[in-house]
Amino acid sequence: MLYVLDLIVFIGIFGILALSLNLEFGFAGLANFGKVAFFLIGAYTYALLSQIGVPFYLCLIAGAMVSAAFGLLISLPALRLRADYLAIAILTFGEILRLIVKSESWIAGGDWGISVSPAIAISGGSHRVDVLVNIGLVYFCLLICFVIAQLLANSPYGRVMRAVREDEMAAEALGKSRARYKAQVLMLGSAMAGIAGGLYAQYLQYVLPGMFMPMVTFTVWIMVLLGGPANNWGAVLGAVLVTLFDRGTNIAKDYLTLPIDPSNLQYILFGALIILVLLYRPQGLLKESPIKTKALESVKRERSVGKGKGS
Amino acid sequence: MAVNWAQVFFNSAITGSLYLIGAVGLTLTYGLSGFPNFAHAEFITLGAYIAYSVAAQFGLGPPLALVVAFLCTGIVGFLCYRGVFQVLAKRGATIIHLMVASIALGFVLRYSIGAAWGWEPLYFATVWPTSSLWSRHDIGSIAVTNLWLWLIFAAVALAVTMHFVLTKTKIGKAIRATSSNPELALASGINIQRVIWITWFLGAGLAAIAGVFRGADTRIWPMTGWDIILPMFAVAILGGIGNFYGAIAAAFIVGLAENFGVVALVALGLSSTYRIGIAFLILIITLIVKPQGLAILFRRG
Repeated sequence: MLYVLDLIVFIGIFGILALSLNLEFGFAGLANFGKVAFFLIGAYTYALLSQIGVPFYLCLIAGAMVSAAFGLLISLPALRLRADYLAIAILTFGEILRLIVKSESWIAGGDWGISVSPAIAISGGSHRVDVLVNIGLVYFCLLICFVIAQLLANSPYGRVMRAVREDEMAAEALGKSRARYKAQVLMLGSAMAGIAGGLYAQYLQYVLPGMFMPMVTFTVWIMVLLGGPANNWGAVLGAVLVTLFDRGTNIAKDYLTLPIDPSNLQYILFGALIILVLLYRPQGLLKESPIKTKALESVKRERSVGKGKGS
Repeated sequence: MAVNWAQVFFNSAITGSLYLIGAVGLTLTYGLSGFPNFAHAEFITLGAYIAYSVAAQFGLGPPLALVVAFLCTGIVGFLCYRGVFQVLAKRGATIIHLMVASIALGFVLRYSIGAAWGWEPLYFATVWPTSSLWSRHDIGSIAVTNLWLWLIFAAVALAVTMHFVLTKTKIGKAIRATSSNPELALASGINIQRVIWITWFLGAGLAAIAGVFRGADTRIWPMTGWDIILPMFAVAILGGIGNFYGAIAAAFIVGLAENFGVVALVALGLSSTYRIGIAFLILIITLIVKPQGLAILFRRG
């Protein structure tokens, strides 16, 4: 039972990450290959602030803000870059960041990390109560992120994001500054990833550099690609499926005797899964919903009426 | 602290040679296929493991093992392109999809390697214990091993051979033509598909050679390639994507920067693990200042 509850917390945290990547990649077409960097920033900000006694909600917000600031910082050079350059630059940024927290043991214990106090500690509560409290906290954050993402996606702002993704030149020609939109999306996505990082740190009650390998980024990518880019429900669905798959192979490890070491097999399957999704269902499980506005609807209606007349 | 500057220069040449051999394939396939192949790291790793295995199984010496690693990894590189990237590109995948696919493919390869050979590091010294590769000399104040001399020799030989291939042979001219303008190359009757295939084969094969040298110099484990892929991206981008001459210059610039950077890091009292951060700085600065890289210096007319 506890295992299932634990799984639910993980789904929630990765759901936030998937939503944030979905904003950046799905809607705005930004190849953020360094998601884990902002996850790390959120987690370490939370860990360091909670150590000096800052209340948990402020830690989470601070994590989001610091992460957003780094998102903005990264976006400054990134704005001029092509998708591939941006991907390489952010990927490297994540690796360097991990290297810094690993080598500078004065920041947060270096390789061994530091322990983090849980956000809401109920005195005398069992472990199970703690996990339930965490579920509440994580899903509250997930809900906020989901609502923000959903509102954005269906707003004029979201339509501009998609326009930038589809054709930067055309968007620019219509007077939409692609640079500003990209920077804002990267900031928002990073803020969400920062919150996810804070939640992750306080749930596991420790942070260490080994938690922030590039693999985390690609797990989130699988979620978004599998679930369906530019579809927020898809991102959450992807988070559910991939986390279940991840846990499932971990359980299978204990019960099955396989010719291949399951911890290797898991990543091989992950890689194969992405390639298969890209080959056979690049739109993901849930498709991007078409844009609906009053103006478009009325144009459609007029057209169908016009056709009716002509026949 | 006295710094042996001659040694630092020599080390820079070693680092540069390694990056050159490894990055040639990366930059050429990047230029031709239009996306950075992150699985290139795994070609490096795979090459080292193949050479190790044939040496351990059949008792091949370093030269033969190198050839086998080159051929096998080259074929793997070709198959990766033919089996995954070409199909994706044909289905209209964007550059982001291709990059993600290359990372996914890298995972498949890396963890397959982990499953096949395990995660414990392996050492070439155990399969070639009596080889003259490991013998050390002192030239003046510089400590040198035969391995390092072979590495520099290999890089120089590669540079010379590639220069002749690119300027004198049909396939080399076809590679350059396709890299600079695919449509025009196609219109001139060049079989673009075959040019790309050959480049992937060559690039992966050369990556394997870099892997063998890197493995012999340090150790072989499934992350061998990933450990040095970021500096290689710095080389490819600083040199100008798809530009071989730019890559030569960039490899040695990155080599110099890393080795002198380490001296500076030590002098500043910082951890020398930041070495990889130097390549990152070069990468970022290049992208901000001049994304075309050094290629602007090597453009004719």
